[in-house]
Amino acid sequence: MKKYFGFWAILVISFAIFLTLSGFDSIKVGGFELRSSGMIDRLTKAPDTAVVAHDSLACMPDTVVEQPKEVDETPQTILFIGDSMLEGLSPRLAAYAEANGHTLYSVIWYSSTSEVWGETTKLQEYIEEFKPTYVFISLGANELFVRNIAERRDKFVKNIISQIGNLPYVWIGPPNWKPDTGINDLIAKNARNGSFFLSNGMHFDRAKDGAHPTRKSAGLWMDSVARWMPEHAAHPIKMDKPEAAKARPKRVIILQPKK
Amino acid sequence: MDFSLIWHNIAELLTYQKDAPMIFSSGIFWALFIVFMPVYAMLKERRWQMLVFVVAFSLYFYYKSSGVFFLLLVGTSLLDWTLSKVLVRQKTELKRKLCVAVSVAASLSVLCYFKYANFFMWNWSMMVNGNFQPLDIILPVGISFYTFQSISYIVDVYKGRVKPTDTWLEYAFFLSFFPALVAGPIVRADYFLPQIKDNTRATQEEIYYGFWLIILGVIKKSLIADYISQYNDLIFANPTGYTGLESLMGVIGYTMQIYCDFSGYSDMAIGIALIMGFKLSANFDFPYKSLNLTEFWRRWHISLSSWLRDYVYIPLGGNRKGTFRTYVNNFLTMLIGGLWHGAAWKFVFWGAMHGAGLAVHKASKPWLSRIPDKWWVRSVCWAITIIYVSLLWVFFRADSWMDSWLIIKNIFSNFHIDYLPVFVEVRYVWCILMSVIIIAHALPKRWWALAGERFVRSPWIVKLAVFLIVVQLVVQFMSEDVSPFIYFQF
Repeated sequence: MKKYFGFWAILVISFAIFLTLSGFDSIKVGGFELRSSGMIDRLTKAPDTAVVAHDSLACMPDTVVEQPKEVDETPQTILFIGDSMLEGLSPRLAAYAEANGHTLYSVIWYSSTSEVWGETTKLQEYIEEFKPTYVFISLGANELFVRNIAERRDKFVKNIISQIGNLPYVWIGPPNWKPDTGINDLIAKNARNGSFFLSNGMHFDRAKDGAHPTRKSAGLWMDSVARWMPEHAAHPIKMDKPEAAKARPKRVIILQPKK
Repeated sequence: MDFSLIWHNIAELLTYQKDAPMIFSSGIFWALFIVFMPVYAMLKERRWQMLVFVVAFSLYFYYKSSGVFFLLLVGTSLLDWTLSKVLVRQKTELKRKLCVAVSVAASLSVLCYFKYANFFMWNWSMMVNGNFQPLDIILPVGISFYTFQSISYIVDVYKGRVKPTDTWLEYAFFLSFFPALVAGPIVRADYFLPQIKDNTRATQEEIYYGFWLIILGVIKKSLIADYISQYNDLIFANPTGYTGLESLMGVIGYTMQIYCDFSGYSDMAIGIALIMGFKLSANFDFPYKSLNLTEFWRRWHISLSSWLRDYVYIPLGGNRKGTFRTYVNNFLTMLIGGLWHGAAWKFVFWGAMHGAGLAVHKASKPWLSRIPDKWWVRSVCWAITIIYVSLLWVFFRADSWMDSWLIIKNIFSNFHIDYLPVFVEVRYVWCILMSVIIIAHALPKRWWALAGERFVRSPWIVKLAVFLIVVQLVVQFMSEDVSPFIYFQF
């Protein structure tokens, strides 16, 4: 028994230290932030709390559809285009697609903006190639701080939407980490009713770049979009929550940043 | 403070959660181990009470990982033990063989149903152009490991290498011993049963050496493997989405990841067992230092390769039936080894290619032995071995044949070395961790033995400090994401 005491004491003391430290928000040692083990959070978490702190439904400005639409149960071919945020969103949307009989094609254009997409006909080309019946867009994160954005990007946002034509779509707004200079308002103004999901105001766990949500948080972000769709999207489609955390789109196209 | 909520969460943590098996690096395991340890230490001298306590804890450990399937483990152990007792009383060879056959068939049937039923049905439906609907089967954790242990026990009893245990409890202890239950090492009856009988107590040095192994295991599994896997996952999820250089890094990354993951977990298992006074055989011995494939399999997952040698290769005839049969036996053994890893053709292919590689190496031995043993010859041998092993990991890891080929093709057709500085700049943490593990793996074995001895002899406070630092590092890296993109802007 005595022989084990030293080893056991190390375990107990370490456990006590990490448990105690997890009760503090942030501890810095010599300017270096020590992360929390999250033990206390795990013990005190309310059942089924998500990472998303508040529901974005509460802050949808002009885009809320008054009457819930009937959910389209037919299998869809979904085209999902956008910037690097798709790295986190796309695998989760692929899981939804897989579970609900949809087919997903993703096009990730790194560092892209509404300007990059809007000054080309890429979207139209992909629509012709994949013949989607539904389009998801995630754009705006690279232009949160552009000055005079309403003047400079209005035509590009309009062009993107015009390329979609009559297809139903959902534009997932950027996950602001700071207040934007107007990109969310610009998209909301141009998007059809029930086609813009405002992500601004949601809480995200961020990756170390401070901008991208972590994979888990991005998955929950997509869950929020899926929860929002049945009652608020102009054209809701079947989006039952999948068991799998992620899946792979049928095809992923990567476009490198414009030089 | 809402105590009812805390109790609710503790109860939730202690009950079976489908997606949260209990692993050694989890907080819940360590919390339970803190409770387990003093009770175990108290009971260690009272053998029967210790056996009851450890079997109960092991079954709980298995319940936490696999839910009601712990009953399957109980059932398997009861059947094996009963048949082993019946076997030794039989006078005729036929009846003795029958006992072995029933036990092995029962163990393999359970394994086949849970692990391979959908695979076989899928293949069947492909052959007959049928409409395949997979059965909703949950694979009990660790079933492949304890099935092999169960087979080795009954075969060893039949061969007279071990006597059947006097009681079911001792056998259940062997089969369900929690340190090795879910991911090995595969414990052999002839090695382990005498330890249960002797009930040797661990010395102070062994306790701290076990602790040292646990710390190494945590570093390999929870710090390095879990972090670098994030980047590797990106590459394998999107085979054509990255440059050849990035794909190559993903392949090298996965080569180190699977080693760190598996050997790290084995280190933890061996360390925990040692602390409890039980010695498990080594499972990894710096496998990527191997100069040929035969050596690789003597260093990689040693408990599996030696099991396959003793219970598949040798019964097939080993090298006793001529050169050609030796190659065939080697190949078949590796094929089974491949299938053991998972129910998919990619694992069969992976095993077959290793089998073919071993056969080629065996066939080339007379010729190879004539080459002078110079440093550059050893370097070439090492390079050929590591490249072959790493390439086969691509097939092991990728989701499909197509993905495997795309990744390999991408490495050769889309390789631009000028991406390297940017790669290092953007994914510097990944590069640092990879460098650490590659250097650590390359260090001489005796250095590691020396480091272990130093740790054991170090003052108690130093051990505490080392443990605290390692755990905090794990916490730091736990929520750290690898940058998925080579470009700083997104």
